[in-house]
Amino acid sequence: MSSAVQMHSTPTGMIKKHHVAIILLHWFNAITWLLELTTGAALIQSEHFRFAPLWFVTMITEVFGSRANLLRFHIAAGLTWITVFAVYGIFGWQTYFHQEVLEREVALDRDDFNWLRIRLLRILGRSNEPLPPQGIYNAGQKMFAVMVYIMFPIIMVTGLIMAFHWGSMTVVGWAVVIHFATVAVVVSGLMVHVYMGAVFPEEKPAFFSMITGMVPEEFAYKHHHKWWKEVKMLEELHAAGQPEPRPAPAPSRLLTALRMKEYWPGYWAGLGLGLTLLATFLIVGQGLGASGGFTRYLAFILSLVAPGYASAHPYWSNYVQPGQPVLMDFLVFELIGVALGGLLSGWLAGRLKWTTDKGPRISPKTRWMLAFLGGAISGVGARMARGCTSGLALSGGSVLSAGAFVFMLAVFAAGFVGAFFLRRIWL
Amino acid sequence: MARYAMVTDLTRCVGCQACTAACNAEWDVPPGQARTRVLPTGAVGKFPHLRSAFYVAQCNHCDDAPCLSPCPSGATFRAENGIVKIDRNLCIGCGFCVQACPYEARYLNPATKKVDKCDFCSARLERGRQPACVTTCTGHAKYFGDLEDPGSDVYRLVYSGGAQRIESDDVKVGPNVYYAGRRGEPELVAQMFPPRQPQLPSSGQWWSKVVKPLALAMVGATFAGQAIAFFTQLRKGEGQFDE
Repeated sequence: MSSAVQMHSTPTGMIKKHHVAIILLHWFNAITWLLELTTGAALIQSEHFRFAPLWFVTMITEVFGSRANLLRFHIAAGLTWITVFAVYGIFGWQTYFHQEVLEREVALDRDDFNWLRIRLLRILGRSNEPLPPQGIYNAGQKMFAVMVYIMFPIIMVTGLIMAFHWGSMTVVGWAVVIHFATVAVVVSGLMVHVYMGAVFPEEKPAFFSMITGMVPEEFAYKHHHKWWKEVKMLEELHAAGQPEPRPAPAPSRLLTALRMKEYWPGYWAGLGLGLTLLATFLIVGQGLGASGGFTRYLAFILSLVAPGYASAHPYWSNYVQPGQPVLMDFLVFELIGVALGGLLSGWLAGRLKWTTDKGPRISPKTRWMLAFLGGAISGVGARMARGCTSGLALSGGSVLSAGAFVFMLAVFAAGFVGAFFLRRIWL
Repeated sequence: MARYAMVTDLTRCVGCQACTAACNAEWDVPPGQARTRVLPTGAVGKFPHLRSAFYVAQCNHCDDAPCLSPCPSGATFRAENGIVKIDRNLCIGCGFCVQACPYEARYLNPATKKVDKCDFCSARLERGRQPACVTTCTGHAKYFGDLEDPGSDVYRLVYSGGAQRIESDDVKVGPNVYYAGRRGEPELVAQMFPPRQPQLPSSGQWWSKVVKPLALAMVGATFAGQAIAFFTQLRKGEGQFDE
């Protein structure tokens, strides 16, 4: 078998290395670290502990307006970071915390230790020994992974202790020190990581694989020979119609969910929506909404066409004030995010296409007319009820507003009655 | 800008603790804590030459406040009028400042998990009122005012009335709460309740003495290593792959 593998001449194709979920996580992590390191360095003000130069601390503080804002941002970004990793950890548990995977991607073997020694000597120009063959990740990458596996939980826990004052003064005091120390360890590792990825010429394909997910086969052959051999072996077995020697680890449920053609199960989506709502309250201080955002857009158009009318009108003057930006509202940006998020999820699930969802008895034209009519009625209704199913029922209900529950009952009652009369549109 | 100070006339203090009660009520101080306390020295000396006094302790808003520099997040700061304050949005409750204070004027509020202390009733000052302890004092022992205003009581008491600071030979950090007394009460209080040396808890000491230098050395060494690698690479020239 192995002799057949070695007979391949210089390979030229591409091999898939990273799943899109891992690529997204990598860049999310990179952006978060950049923000957290910047804000974190600016947060340490005390002359006992400060290490960033004073001009840097002042500049970053001024960018955020105040130190309190800076701290709020640092905590919010940290919580987002923890949440994303928790979600990946929960759903990717089967995929990534597999003994086989850990052995292959994290644990260092004899080849790895030799590789480290020779690699270092070669970088310093002190050796020409050939490097021992490496698996899908080389020894340096594995060491970085081990460090990350150990340090990230420590950083997360100490951060939570500081943010929520868990424990006595002694506990919080040590949390500050340990948070700083672990971040420093990660930063020195990160410097090597960034250098290898962005500057070191031999690892260029590894950098691009974090964008496209693919590496040139030649690169895999030369730098990750053991992995390349595995891939080729599997390919040949596959071509020969033989079963794979061992079952590949089952894809995680998150990846399955992302690839699903169908919609998510309602309970999962409900849980996700609830967590999103909680995060919105924590970060922005208000709930989700839809009709309020559309009202802003309308008010904006009105302020362009007839500013005088809008700012004098008893209703529109709530939104249009001279000198005040009409679109400066969370809901405006939230709606853009909703559209982009829907597009992304449709794309990931391979569901993107032009279509008109309608019942069998009506033409698309009727459906579009009815949709606009229905949209207009519910739009006016939402403004009269001072909120829609998102802003009033969902966000209001989550803070136990009595109006939200009355509204929800009214929506279901009206829907129940209305559906009877309109059933022919859908059936 | 104003330079606020307080003078407590210990001859007039009867130890009734009305100041403590007023302060606790004004600021919702949790049970077991106080921003201002009345501590009796007890009888000092040999009969029949006994002396005693009450020490009315609180934050001194010191000129060289030792609580300022240990605060990692900068939550403790000095306002322009000289009052040392805590920004509760920034306080993480590490307690470094609690140990740093020579007068033990700070405490961790168990409800908010953040540090609290006397701020000369800043919220009342903004409304043009005197601190709660001053208006409540049953013996009219407390004076509050601006040391830059020559017409004020505190100016008179501090610059010509013999009011003095509670300091020790080791700890002189410029407290701005002064004590007056006709029978040597301030000296007695200074003798019985000397300010302690500012301390940094062991976690803070580790941070400033071990962790920070080590972290800087580690990051610096990595940087130096990379610089060497980079120039070696430049000299060798750039190749697509090795081999």
